[in-house]
Amino acid sequence: MIKKNGLMFLWTTILISSLILTGCGGQQTTTPEPQAAVEETQEVATPAAEKKVVTIIFTQEFDTLNPLYSNMWFAMVTFDLWNAWAWMFDENNEAYPYLVTEMPSVENGGISEDGKTITLKLRDDLKWSDGEPLTSEDFIFTYEMAIDKNNAVASSYPYDQVLSMEAPDAQTVVMNFEEPFAPWEATFWKGILPAHILKPVYESENTINNAAWNLKPDVGCGPYILDEWESGSFARFVVNENFWGTPPIIDEVFFRFVPDDASQVAALQAGDADIGSFIAWNDTPTLEEVGLKIMAQPSGYNEGIFPVINEEKGSIAVDDVRVRKAIIMSIDREAIVRDILLGKTYVPASYWDSLPFYNDPPLENYPYDPEGAKKLLEEAGWIDANGDGVREKDGVDLALTYGTTIQELRQDVQAVIQQELAQVGIKTELLSYDADVFFASYDQNGPAAKGELDLMQWMDSTSFPDPDYYYWFCDEIPTDDYPAGSNWQFYCNEELDALFRLEATQVDANERQKTFQKINKIFYDEVIWIGLWANPDIWAVSPKMQNVKFSGVTPFFNIGEWDITQ
Amino acid sequence: MTRYIIKRLLQGIPLIFIISIILFVLMMNMGDPIATMGGRSITRPSDRIRLTRQLGLDKPIYMQYIYWLIGNDWTKVDLDGDSVAETSGTRRGILRGDFGTSLVNRGKPVTKVIGERLPNTIMLMVASEIIVILGALAVGVYSAIKQYSWFDHTITALSFIGYSMPIFFIALLSMYIFAVLFKRWGLPYLPTVGMFDPKVGKTTGQILVHMILPVFSMSVVSLASYSRYIRSTMLEVLSQDYIRTAKAKGLPRRDVVFIHALKNASLPIVTIVGLDLPLLLGGAVVTEQIFAWPGMGRLFLDHVKRADTPVVMGILLMIAVAVVVFQILTDITYAWLDPRIRYEK
Amino acid sequence: MDSISAQSSPIARLSPDELEAPPLTLRQLAWRRFRRHKMAMFGGIVLILLFIYSIGGSFFFTEGYANYTQTELRLQPPSAAHPFGTDTVGRDALARTIYGGQISILIGLAAVIIETLMGILIGAAAGYYGGMIDSILMRFTEAMLNIPELFLLIVMAKNFGGKIPNITLFGREFSGSVVVIIIIIGLTSWMYLARIVRAEFLSIKENDFILAARATGTPNSQIIFQHILPNSIAPIVVSATLGVANAILSEAYISFLGLGVQPPTATWGNMLDRANNYLETAPWLWFVPGAFILLTVLSINFLGDGLRDALDPRSRTI
Repeated sequence: MIKKNGLMFLWTTILISSLILTGCGGQQTTTPEPQAAVEETQEVATPAAEKKVVTIIFTQEFDTLNPLYSNMWFAMVTFDLWNAWAWMFDENNEAYPYLVTEMPSVENGGISEDGKTITLKLRDDLKWSDGEPLTSEDFIFTYEMAIDKNNAVASSYPYDQVLSMEAPDAQTVVMNFEEPFAPWEATFWKGILPAHILKPVYESENTINNAAWNLKPDVGCGPYILDEWESGSFARFVVNENFWGTPPIIDEVFFRFVPDDASQVAALQAGDADIGSFIAWNDTPTLEEVGLKIMAQPSGYNEGIFPVINEEKGSIAVDDVRVRKAIIMSIDREAIVRDILLGKTYVPASYWDSLPFYNDPPLENYPYDPEGAKKLLEEAGWIDANGDGVREKDGVDLALTYGTTIQELRQDVQAVIQQELAQVGIKTELLSYDADVFFASYDQNGPAAKGELDLMQWMDSTSFPDPDYYYWFCDEIPTDDYPAGSNWQFYCNEELDALFRLEATQVDANERQKTFQKINKIFYDEVIWIGLWANPDIWAVSPKMQNVKFSGVTPFFNIGEWDITQ
Repeated sequence: MTRYIIKRLLQGIPLIFIISIILFVLMMNMGDPIATMGGRSITRPSDRIRLTRQLGLDKPIYMQYIYWLIGNDWTKVDLDGDSVAETSGTRRGILRGDFGTSLVNRGKPVTKVIGERLPNTIMLMVASEIIVILGALAVGVYSAIKQYSWFDHTITALSFIGYSMPIFFIALLSMYIFAVLFKRWGLPYLPTVGMFDPKVGKTTGQILVHMILPVFSMSVVSLASYSRYIRSTMLEVLSQDYIRTAKAKGLPRRDVVFIHALKNASLPIVTIVGLDLPLLLGGAVVTEQIFAWPGMGRLFLDHVKRADTPVVMGILLMIAVAVVVFQILTDITYAWLDPRIRYEK
Repeated sequence: MDSISAQSSPIARLSPDELEAPPLTLRQLAWRRFRRHKMAMFGGIVLILLFIYSIGGSFFFTEGYANYTQTELRLQPPSAAHPFGTDTVGRDALARTIYGGQISILIGLAAVIIETLMGILIGAAAGYYGGMIDSILMRFTEAMLNIPELFLLIVMAKNFGGKIPNITLFGREFSGSVVVIIIIIGLTSWMYLARIVRAEFLSIKENDFILAARATGTPNSQIIFQHILPNSIAPIVVSATLGVANAILSEAYISFLGLGVQPPTATWGNMLDRANNYLETAPWLWFVPGAFILLTVLSINFLGDGLRDALDPRSRTI
């Protein structure tokens, strides 16, 4: 016979436990409120002013908050709030000292004559939010953690370039390199780890992979400190009472996670949020209509097409520079920017377009000239003899595969470009992949890394605001023996290779500029990259916000000076 | 009965095992979790090599599965890339309750990643299931009693429409009408996305208001099919002899319908509800995506996009276990409600 | 409507005429029952109209026009030149619903063929042979059933996405992703059908005529495909019909999440992709394809319901 009681018990348990689960969800989050309310009444009693809260919308959630463990933009921008870079970058993307007293240079002795040693002088008033001093020990610890074999950090670059690092005293950090390391300014010290918190974890676990601090960094060194982060919903940062610098004006920074552009726009329109990021181009007029200010900040990113230039990979057609020129001339890039991006950006002529110093003299764009493109194709021997609208040579059609990631804007542009190329007799097959598939490595059968495509579209930057990049080295071509290779264009040009190796060691900016003039020239003549549009960070800012500036490198560099009016 | 339960549970184990293998094989070809770790830039080659090794992604699939299943603390792993395995593994494997850590939120245990979102989804599910059952009972019973009336015909047509309605369409349409148009017309309107208004905070009232549209979208489809089902079982029961007897005895109509007929008609409903409940999680994917509800469905999508095998496996396995458990519970409840059914001892 | 509701008093509704008419064949009976089902007839007619729309429409617009971008005309509201408006790169939404309809219907039908083949093969093998084969196949079926279909679809879509090149068929080029979607929908939806077929086989194989066929040494394949299968065709037809609706919906769901057929090939599903970004600014972008999907699925469901009643031998309505 069935035990009805037992069964009832089972069901009730399930019901109750699900209710408790749901209830907990509600409770966990409702409890802080009364507390907050209590605090508020206590604090507010004296100034009698309302708490100033700025709400920022993020369309993606941070993955982790440990500076070494995330390269995600949405995580990195928060470091300006609660952590710190050794030096920050202002709205002109110029570096200024923050944790250090001055920017190291050859003149002030911070950089040695041979360029192989960089010495940092730290401020002596730095302290963590729990009152502990922030010293060179924390810098050394950060370095050690970045290169530790047991730590699965997001990137050990540039710390793996360091030969050795010392801390002669509490305010001095000395970095020694084998070769002069030119991109140091843009790559080092994007966040510091508190040694006094994480060292015990490392000593007991042999790794900081699972440190609680990574997901709840309750000790920091910025003007704010993390108060609460609820997965999928929000993260709240409050004022760091122990901040060593000028206390911030706004009391609370509230990040709200919404998953898509539409929700972000709706929230901004409704006034539910004060700042939005990564605004889609076609949403800017809607937001401007309701009085939001749209701010575009160059961050070095450009959308572009990378042709595969290798006789063994991809179509042989693209290996001919005349075909590449024909391609660039048959795409009406100005029209794409004008119509689809609403004329809010421009067509970059150079990969270094957002770094005017290294794009000097600036390159001129190839014009939109389909007739010229047709002539070039004929010159190269591609003729449509059978009249099917597609050119051919030696019995092979001029048909290219053109791949990118699944993203509405990219797929739209792909369709436009396909049509424009068809008009000059180039047939394209459009392919789109999820990002983790498209960018997968050679041994994971990534279509780009395998050289399966002829034209590849994505967006990238240099080590902004440094011009250095590593894509185009001959030994970066992926092979079975080196599947991690990053030269997905399979392009090897000895001259270019040597120039890139040279610039990376040129600590003297003027020398480096000359090298980049040569690199730029090769890029232009060989059409190694087809720039589609410059991709600055687009911010939408409520008119209530005062004194808001953004940098393309450390976006919230002046968040302490922000104010909000009612 | 206890033996029957134990037997069913034992049968469930190989089933879950097969599911885990199918899923794991599928997951392995899904994408490169390291590809998106570079943020907006492409992951650097040196980091790629190191992370592949550190996260154990360089191992063959069957080894990865074994590590995932029983852990790797019994063996040595190579962390520094000198091809010498010298460090002891730390994973304990799913059989010992270690679901691993997320590749996206590195260091965060999968159980925690899921646990944070599960209540939000359950909230939606429980609310819509309650509405569905109550609504379907009311509509189904009424249209069964009033068979062939205009009400019955309307309900039949409507339920077909509801049943054929893609969730995203009803979601977008209701959002357009109740949030966008109502606002435009100056009527009281509903919020479009999220779980609460950050200005007001996460209060119960806020959550309830924000739940209206998602719950509505999720309920429509099930409501339509359940009410049709209830209608036909009710009709079947109402034509049974014992109902006629009851009517003949002169029992009040209300008693006949609600005590005699409904009790018996509710039997098959238990089955459907029990089997559907875990599958509702699937419907939540689209709803949560549209209404930006921080539940499991959105979690699944976000982590699938970054090929986060441990989390995706965790979610799918959890659902599979839930399905198995609910199947057993349904059988038992069924037997309990219907004395004609006996499971062999 | 459905069999159960009609059972209440079947005889009373016979007209004297029908009682005296000569006996009808099963097929005639089925057609007669089907014709009486008003909603099924409505569904059938709407489906034919939708077919005419998406096939006949291609005589008025070329596929090139459906994919023709005019960026300066983006997001135009419905007008005389573009009755359904234009999309984000200025393509005509009307022409895209026509060609999208073709692909959506193609996906629905082709996926169901795969689904039915798999369902029949697995169900028949399990039901006919029984024993070890049965328990292995059924455990596998159960395992697949235990994962919600949408989750399985998403995982599979990522797994096979971009792996199949474009295919040219009937002088038209089909994006490889169409084939991928057809295959994965087929692979994730056969389980219910397999169970139905198995149950049918289990009951039919005990009949005398099967035992006789076995006794005379008829090969197994012949028994399965010539003796049992034809006798269990009714539930298969109904299930396949409803399967088409399900496949069209699945395509829409997976495309809505951005993992479906990749543009520029249009389907009703991928025209809806990212629709919530245009909820307010361009409602025609999501309303029109959404309505087409709803209408198609609804009609197929009506049709399936009618078929179920008509083909059910236990249904005594005439």
